[in-house]
Amino acid sequence: MEGKVIVVTSGKGGVGKTTATSSIGAALALEGKRVAIVDMDIGLRNLDVVMGLENRIVFNIVDVVLGKCKISQAAIRDRRIENLFLIPASQSDNKDVLSSAGVERVANELRKEFDYVIMDSPAGIERGFQNAVVGANEAIVICTPDVSSVRDADRVIGILYSRSLTPKLVVNRIEPARVERGEMLSYEDVLEVLSIELLGLVPMDEHVLISSNTGTPLVLQNDSKAGHAFKRIARRLNGEADLPIEVPTHKNSMWKKISKTLGFK
Amino acid sequence: MINFDSAAPVRLKGVGDGFWITLDPSHSEEVLKSEIDKLFGNLKHLAINASVVIDVGDAKGHDDLLERLKSYLINTFEISKVSRPPEKRSIPTERIRQRDLSKGWNHHRSDVLMLRGIVRSGQKIESRKHIIIMGDVNPGSEISAGGDIIVLGRLAGKVHAGFPEDESSIIFALEFRPTLVRIGKTTASGIDEEVRIKPEYACVENNAIIVKDYMKTNPFRKMPWPEAI
Ligand SMILES: Nc1ncnc2c1ncn2[C@@H]1O[C@H](COP(=O)(O)OP(=O)(O)OP(=O)(O)O)[C@@H](O)[C@H]1O
Ligand SMILES: [Mg+2]
Repeated sequence: MEGKVIVVTSGKGGVGKTTATSSIGAALALEGKRVAIVDMDIGLRNLDVVMGLENRIVFNIVDVVLGKCKISQAAIRDRRIENLFLIPASQSDNKDVLSSAGVERVANELRKEFDYVIMDSPAGIERGFQNAVVGANEAIVICTPDVSSVRDADRVIGILYSRSLTPKLVVNRIEPARVERGEMLSYEDVLEVLSIELLGLVPMDEHVLISSNTGTPLVLQNDSKAGHAFKRIARRLNGEADLPIEVPTHKNSMWKKISKTLGFK
Repeated sequence: MINFDSAAPVRLKGVGDGFWITLDPSHSEEVLKSEIDKLFGNLKHLAINASVVIDVGDAKGHDDLLERLKSYLINTFEISKVSRPPEKRSIPTERIRQRDLSKGWNHHRSDVLMLRGIVRSGQKIESRKHIIIMGDVNPGSEISAGGDIIVLGRLAGKVHAGFPEDESSIIFALEFRPTLVRIGKTTASGIDEEVRIKPEYACVENNAIIVKDYMKTNPFRKMPWPEAI
């Protein structure tokens, strides 16, 4: 059976596409799937850094698309997680070196060798984004709970639908305390505008930064709330569609609930 | 108007203290006058000082012709008073009107662009017709219509009704919170009030855009019966 090619997009930059791509990919591999993570952010590669694989790069996705090497030569095996591979972006080329037809062909080849192919896309809706989308048969849209990110996500969702892709949503960097104080949009506000299927809610978590600085996968850090959320997202993608969505909560509100059940005032 | 029954050009019957003439104004004046001559010639002195009603049925206009026939009747047969039938419609006429009305919308080619689904950021919908959207209109999107804009959902984008200059157009939404509203040449920007989820519509009054509660000031209640647009 052929695997799935999933593109991770957002419209707006810096909302967590790269974090989500590496974490969801790692989590799917931990579930026993054969996973390729492809960095389509040509010219601004950083998945390899986040995953701590930077110094193992020989070939990249541009080489694969241009026929300079085989997929197996460009795919770097992860140091910690079995069945997880990275196909890095090229740092030197610009995004125009890739043709849509070339990307589509490589996506179809990847589909034959992996259960999941997760493509990290550049910000924006220009050529680089179009190339990341062209070979995909599923799409994940990442947005943060702020007005401009929601606006851009909405735009991207429209474009994905026009390509016959049905995007699913991840809301990242949720700060429950700020949502509670009304300083940040709630995930309900976001969903009200975007109205697409929700895959998961990821809280703001300092482990994300630690993880990308040390090159240790977020999903291997057991006390990471964001890592936990990405693991559940991976399970939901991987057939457990009924797995309930966990809403990030503020520590204090947890205590409130508990003290209520214990009968404290 | 097609007349299916081949009735005589002029028919006469007695009503109360006078006479009721039903005539078909599509005939020439000569024909009508000679028919009237025949009928009133038979009546002889009975016509003198009688009052007469001239009925042309559903036909419209012909006021000049009727005026001339009126003087003709008064001068030739010494009729005292000639009038038109009272305005109140008889029941058969009402039925004809209803039938014509339903025909009106059966054969009406729609002037409406009707869409369903979400209009998302970056999308622009333009039409020279009225636009109906069953779904939401998200921030960052744009709708422009030659006529009215009806949104069965939340309206939060930019909207221009009555493009380019029809200020009688309206913009309706079940949840009305557009960022920018234009009707014809009049513009207003959205106000950040607390969100009221109720059906509202915008229209132009005294060169300003006014937003009103649709259930309280439904502008179409004034119209006595439905009309195709
Ligand atoms: N849940 C989170 N909690 C805390 N920090 C986060 C979270 N998600 C992402 N970040 C941080 O936000 C920054 C941007 O994340 P990331 O690089 O994944 O975004 P991106 O969408 O790939 O950006 P670009 O558009 O530049 O490619 C990074 O510094 C990352 O560590
Ligand atoms: Mg990135």
